[in-house]
Amino acid sequence: MSVLIDSLLAILAIYLALQCLLAQRLIQTVFIFFAFGLALALTWVRLGAIDVAITEAAIAAGFMGVLFLDALRDFSPAVSKKQQNLEAVRNPLPGNDTKRPILPRLALGLGLVLFLLISLEAVWNTPEGKGLTVVTGVMLPDSGVEHPVTAVLLNFRAYDTWLEIGVILMGLLAIFAAGGKEVYRKSGMTAEDPVLRQVILFFTPILFLFGAFLLYFGKSGPGGAFPAGVLWGAIGILLHLGGRPVLTVIPRWLLYLILTIGPGFFILLGFLLMTTGSTLFEYPPAYAGILILIVETMAAISIAAALTAIFTNLNQMSEEPDKIESNN
Amino acid sequence: METYKIYILTSAVLFVIGIGGVFMARHFIKKIIATVIMGGGVFLCFVSFAERDALTFADPVPHAMVITGIVVAVASAAFALALARRIYQLTGEQSFPIDK
Repeated sequence: MSVLIDSLLAILAIYLALQCLLAQRLIQTVFIFFAFGLALALTWVRLGAIDVAITEAAIAAGFMGVLFLDALRDFSPAVSKKQQNLEAVRNPLPGNDTKRPILPRLALGLGLVLFLLISLEAVWNTPEGKGLTVVTGVMLPDSGVEHPVTAVLLNFRAYDTWLEIGVILMGLLAIFAAGGKEVYRKSGMTAEDPVLRQVILFFTPILFLFGAFLLYFGKSGPGGAFPAGVLWGAIGILLHLGGRPVLTVIPRWLLYLILTIGPGFFILLGFLLMTTGSTLFEYPPAYAGILILIVETMAAISIAAALTAIFTNLNQMSEEPDKIESNN
Repeated sequence: METYKIYILTSAVLFVIGIGGVFMARHFIKKIIATVIMGGGVFLCFVSFAERDALTFADPVPHAMVITGIVVAVASAAFALALARRIYQLTGEQSFPIDK
């Protein structure tokens, strides 16, 4: 029975991935991508990785899908039709685009089949290993938390997690750089739609509470800083889309403080621990639980702010040309 | 057949689908989504091996690495989207021009 479920899920994931890339219209691609992310989340539940499933459903399917959906405002079908017409005017040869040479396609197909066989061979014949399960199990009582994944994330491999929050900030900086000027939508626009206003009023406290629950629950079960940060980031996105752009209301220095407080506190704590004679991020077992909770809270706040800022910046990109035109 | 073996095979297939998509897809968004699917294949491989090494709980190190990896993948995909939208604004191109 379980083999049947697993096979069906595997086939579903492969089918959705194929459909996602073969779909004719971009909007189909993006929505099938949502479905693909949720199918992957289900596979991870089947494999016993609940933390990964929560992260996948929240960030990879939810947040990334929202970014792609937002990008569709730029690459809308009407615009692409206009561009096709433009291209047709530029190169008037009919059917030039659809007829591609056969040889490169054949080579690519053969190469892909070979690569598939090599990958299957590689993953099928991987030598047996013990993994790090035993080591983690032995060290778990010293980590200050009961859930092994949280222990690895915030105690044993805390350096990786610190760098990861840094990568999000680097991504945000790169988006600032690529997006040109940093202009947020003017505040003071309130949502006229009563349904939208009610949705915001209803979901903001629930999202906040649920995020706080996941944050605290990460000590003893699946959860932790990343799902909590994404849920709190969803509040920021919801408020922004509802006409209450939080990032314009708070002063700029406060935004930068919130963005850097997670990785900043994390590394400061690491250095402070070094002064007591231990290595970087080696928490004393007596205080490890409370220290991890504080670090997680700070990290979740920073992640939430960074995700909101990434969305806000990408969201305002398509509005920029109008502004330049109106200024001229 | 154990659970993890099914998903190991799936991971290889997903990775190859992603690579094919990176080469074949024309539009920027499809290319970015193809790289995300490639990443999904790699993560599936990691988590499957974590399940293989499970004792009372699954190996938590690959899980932690995959959570890290998902967040990094999202950050890079967001950056790629920013670049794609910027290219579209400046040149009007939706895909890489093919030299003939």
